[in-house]
Amino acid sequence: MSKRTMPRLLQSPAVVLLLVWMLIPLGMTLFFSFIRYVLNSLRRPEWTTPSIENWRGFGNYDFVLGNKDFLLAVQNSLLIVCSILFLTVILGVLIAVLINKAFPGRGIVRVLLISPFFVMPAVNAVLWINMILDPVLGLQGIAVDGINALIRDLQNLPVLGAFFGLWPELSPISFRATQTSAYAVIIMVTWQWTPFAVLIFMTSLQSEDQQQKEAAILDGAGAWSQFRFLTLPHLGRPIAIVVMIQAIFHLSLYAEIEIVSRGNGNKNLPYLIGEFANNNIGAASATGIFAVILANIVAIFLLRMIGKTLME
Amino acid sequence: MGRIVLENVTKSFGDAEVIPPLDLTIEDGEFAVFVGPSGCGKSTLLRLIAGLEETTSGRILIDGEDVTEVSPSKRGLAMVFQTYALYPHMSVRKNIAFPLRMAKMEQGEIDAAVDRAASILNLGDYLEKRPGQLSGGQRQRVAIGRAIVRQPTAFLFDEPLSNLDAALRVGMRLEISELHERLKTTMIYVTHDQVEAMTMANKIVVLRAGHIEQVGSPLELYRTPRNLFVAGFIGSPTMNFITGEEAAKHGAQTIGIRPEHIAVSASEGTWTGKVGVAEHLGSDTFFYVHDTGLAETLTVRATGEVSFRNGDTIHMTPREDLLHRFDAAGERMA
Ligand SMILES: Nc1ncnc2c1ncn2[C@@H]1O[C@H](COP(=O)(O)OP(=O)(O)O)[C@@H](O)[C@H]1O
Ligand SMILES: [Mg+2]
Repeated sequence: MSKRTMPRLLQSPAVVLLLVWMLIPLGMTLFFSFIRYVLNSLRRPEWTTPSIENWRGFGNYDFVLGNKDFLLAVQNSLLIVCSILFLTVILGVLIAVLINKAFPGRGIVRVLLISPFFVMPAVNAVLWINMILDPVLGLQGIAVDGINALIRDLQNLPVLGAFFGLWPELSPISFRATQTSAYAVIIMVTWQWTPFAVLIFMTSLQSEDQQQKEAAILDGAGAWSQFRFLTLPHLGRPIAIVVMIQAIFHLSLYAEIEIVSRGNGNKNLPYLIGEFANNNIGAASATGIFAVILANIVAIFLLRMIGKTLME
Repeated sequence: MGRIVLENVTKSFGDAEVIPPLDLTIEDGEFAVFVGPSGCGKSTLLRLIAGLEETTSGRILIDGEDVTEVSPSKRGLAMVFQTYALYPHMSVRKNIAFPLRMAKMEQGEIDAAVDRAASILNLGDYLEKRPGQLSGGQRQRVAIGRAIVRQPTAFLFDEPLSNLDAALRVGMRLEISELHERLKTTMIYVTHDQVEAMTMANKIVVLRAGHIEQVGSPLELYRTPRNLFVAGFIGSPTMNFITGEEAAKHGAQTIGIRPEHIAVSASEGTWTGKVGVAEHLGSDTFFYVHDTGLAETLTVRATGEVSFRNGDTIHMTPREDLLHRFDAAGERMA
């Protein structure tokens, strides 16, 4: 046995396991996406077993592309993912920079800030949609009622009343509607994932070189210039990490969509796959392949963008 | 112009007083070196001048103007840090241009200034590289380049060479000295290395625990150290100190004699001892002599080729006119 063989042999189980782990699901998805394969068919019982005989070529892809929900789902996926990324990165950087300064009670504030991350996604969605965003029973409804009551009171004031009379009565927004359910998802996931971004940015800020800051101060850089030219580039890599990890997670959001609107006007790709998979495994698999392609495009595009804008 | 005056400046961190009341004047165009052991407050003093630390009390004046409350960027000083503190995400060109860009200078002027600085410091080939791709010496040059483009009223250096290897250190020492000759701008240079202080300074400020022990030109400090601390700190190898009977003969508590001010002979001399280690440097030889009855070890320097071996008896004669006498408090006696 040569010197190299032994280590290779010892590595091989792990490598094989990883390959199997990745390749088998991907291979099966690919295979299913090219055949007719349904769970139930009285008319064509032969389609209920996956077999090469049922080869359909790009038929499943055609079918998915022609589906009225598909484009909407792609758009929605992108809208949800990109909005969440944008919000969490901006909020994350802001909060991390704010709590990086020493102040009394910083430890407790940090723990509290991290805690949303430990709430289960489904619980998070239920809490937000029922207790906070609900137009009648949630905080939103109560707040809107309160503000309206306040405005009504102000309208009864002697002189200023006329001015407040110009104010419209607010009406609460229903976040379960077709047009708004995506925003509900964006809000709740942003709330849950901002702590993740804060956590990563915070650790990175602690390793920032203080002498560089002092050099910049002497060079005449104000607070904004220090942030723009030192802190932000320093955060470039952590931002890329946060974006990558979140892109992967949020492209496969499911629980939130299901709980907010049952996909009503608010499907993303995973939800569409789920709907197809009720019967048409072939179409579900083809959609899955589209999702993989979309994920790669998003990842490459986002990383390029971050690299370009942050690294001078 | 760049005349820097400290009046009664003090600095405390919490309860710890790092700089007790201190007065110091650095004249325009001077190369002043703050030297002292680690932790004696050299960096703190420099940072007070730069404005990176606030004074606890006292005033700092630059060219007669009170800058104690003036922000660091408005003091017109440039600083070079021990760790270089280059901006890692910017190219060398952008690093050097940064202070000018912050000053909202026009791009054309910036480019010209950067090119001028780069040619002074031989950085032309590296302008498009990132700091991470440069060696220690090159990074230090970039840091100096970033300082000179601003044409500051004074340069502040905080141990700029201590991260470099010995050979590079000597080279950079020369370059900084030449830069001073060329620009004639005030420079304040902090180091714990007395060799750097001696070779570069017009004016050395010896610090101990935040106190100024002595201020003077290198030769003044070498010839007439004001106390035992300065005598022991300046000069390499360090001065020999002898106490007891031999010192009493000279009417002092301690006498000091530099290794180079002792003549050696195989046959006769005032003092005798046994040669321990001999260090042959070619031009000079240093002998560490034991069993003299004067001090644990006496260091003597002999020039040329001298052949004493380990264990040989050696006779030594100090030059009486170059003997330093110190009283019980460690102060120099007239
Ligand atoms: N930010 C600070 N907080 C508390 N103590 C400090 C601080 N900076 C320096 N010191 C103390 O001041 C003394 C002088 O430090 P420094 O000026 O860095 O010494 P040097 O540069 O001469 O080695 C040291 O005892 C150090 O511990
Ligand atoms: Mg220091």
